[in-house]
Amino acid sequence: MATDQLSRGHVAFEPAGLPVREKGFPPDKVVSNVVLLGLGAFFVLPLIWLVTASMDAGATQQLAWPQFTTGNFIAATTADKANALLNSFIMSSIATLVGTIPAVFAAYALSRLAVPLKNTVLLSILCLSGVPISILIVPVYQMFSVADWLSLTPAAVFLGVTSLPFEVYIIKNAIDSIPRDLEEAARLDRVSTIRIILRVIIPLAMPGIVAAAVYGFINAWGSFLIPLVLIASPDQQPSPIAIFSFVSADIIRYGQIAAYSLVYSAPVIILYLLVSRVFHGGFTLGGAGR
Amino acid sequence: MAVLRHDRRHFQWGWIPFLAPASILLLALFLVPVGFSFYLGLTNLQLIGPHSINYWFTGLSNVQALLADKDFLQSICLTLIFVVGSGAFGSSLLGLVLALSMQRANPILRSAVGAVVVLGTVLPPATVAVVWSAVTSTGGILSLLVGFRRAGFLYKAPMLVVSLANAWSLCGLSMLIFAAALRNVPRDMIEAAMLENAGPFRRFARIVFPVIRPTVITSCLLMTLLSFGNFTVVFLMTGGGPAGATDILPLYSYIEAFSYHRLAYGALLGNVIVLFSGLLCLAFLGLGRLSGRSDRMGGGRMTGLAAAEEIAPLTGPT
Repeated sequence: MATDQLSRGHVAFEPAGLPVREKGFPPDKVVSNVVLLGLGAFFVLPLIWLVTASMDAGATQQLAWPQFTTGNFIAATTADKANALLNSFIMSSIATLVGTIPAVFAAYALSRLAVPLKNTVLLSILCLSGVPISILIVPVYQMFSVADWLSLTPAAVFLGVTSLPFEVYIIKNAIDSIPRDLEEAARLDRVSTIRIILRVIIPLAMPGIVAAAVYGFINAWGSFLIPLVLIASPDQQPSPIAIFSFVSADIIRYGQIAAYSLVYSAPVIILYLLVSRVFHGGFTLGGAGR
Repeated sequence: MAVLRHDRRHFQWGWIPFLAPASILLLALFLVPVGFSFYLGLTNLQLIGPHSINYWFTGLSNVQALLADKDFLQSICLTLIFVVGSGAFGSSLLGLVLALSMQRANPILRSAVGAVVVLGTVLPPATVAVVWSAVTSTGGILSLLVGFRRAGFLYKAPMLVVSLANAWSLCGLSMLIFAAALRNVPRDMIEAAMLENAGPFRRFARIVFPVIRPTVITSCLLMTLLSFGNFTVVFLMTGGGPAGATDILPLYSYIEAFSYHRLAYGALLGNVIVLFSGLLCLAFLGLGRLSGRSDRMGGGRMTGLAAAEEIAPLTGPT
């Protein structure tokens, strides 16, 4: 009773929340909402164009109410464009495997190993992940052209390696949070290290590994310049180069570009949403372990 | 046989197989190319023609050409605008403003804007370029909003538009980083300041900013590096034009190497990018250390590692 009355008073303390109850619209709240509304418009307007243009039979660069059609999506998934999507998928999958599998083992070693200058090693790995990839294009092009490797698979392997340092870092963080007792118990039972990794570490570090794999996949999926330079055959080029050919065509068909961009972006968006879910699971798992 | 002490960790050779695959890959396709690039920068390698197969060391003649190159100097300035102006400062500021205003905003508006901003960051660079070149060309919605009816925003102010597109596509990450950091600002300190009638600006300057200062440095660092990587957007939107107005260094390097067939010069420009980004990172780290010295909270964490710890959960729930 007493607490009920208190909480209705103008200065009421709540266990969770602001101690001072504000009446009406305090100026900082109004400013926050207005700023957020303005910035939100800046962010959402280009995306609205993307969605409406993709469905608009007479799409231009202007934002307009669409004459609904599915023709853009059909035109955007003709054989050669679909082939580019397939190439993107193959390239990104190879890059993900090349990046993630070595990263798991290296991360486990770095997490559990006593290396002299461990922080220096980690910091240099981080620096590697920060190196702008564009600087590697000329030397790697020269190496690959001498070796006659200017095709999809070597380019995909190279893309995987470019995301490797950061993947090591993500997975190492995940492994660091796994209690050591678990693997020490397994070690007492004379379980080999490789089995410990497969049966204990990988399942428990799965959220981190998935996040790293998704990072590798998205990194390769979005890559434009590396496939452009390192893949000689036009048939093997991935989707971003198909978008480039749309954009640099004589007549720019905005509807088709928008539709193709949406189709091309969809896997990345879906993966991102999935990873957010996985991380939810990861956090509860971490909480239960403690 | 010597007894292994199990209370200490020691280097065991059995670990080598675990480290080997990653090390070999990184060495062969990362470190060797970086070193090779430094050598190539000092040769006369060309993409086609006689010097594409037979090339040799030419000393510092490329460096001399570089120093006399007016386009190069312009490119450096444009890179600074793009990487520091729109990347480090623009994206971080935008992310911070978003995160701050989200604290006090309507929950529905907050999650809607948050989702849209993050979506902009998740979209691949090619899509960002398509969207942005459409909305800023003649008659595009952003051109109309800034008042260009006859000509496109993109043609009137190309550098500004690619900078905006860069900030648009990066600031979701800095927003997530700042949102996480703002959750660590002690609630009771804010409440105490409110009881003392401290206004929002003073609360920010005296309490919030000192707490999130390491995050500000982290964000600036990250956005710098990501802007260097984000040149795909510029490439697809303008191709460096019109008349070199958006010719940032990574683009200039690509164009020299693969459009003008001067691979060696492109490699040299790549080396300049390495030095340039390295210097920028050192500058931000130094700035962080300098400003953090007077009131270091928690102490001792290396900014670089702290940075990685903050971005590691970036894909987490928003």
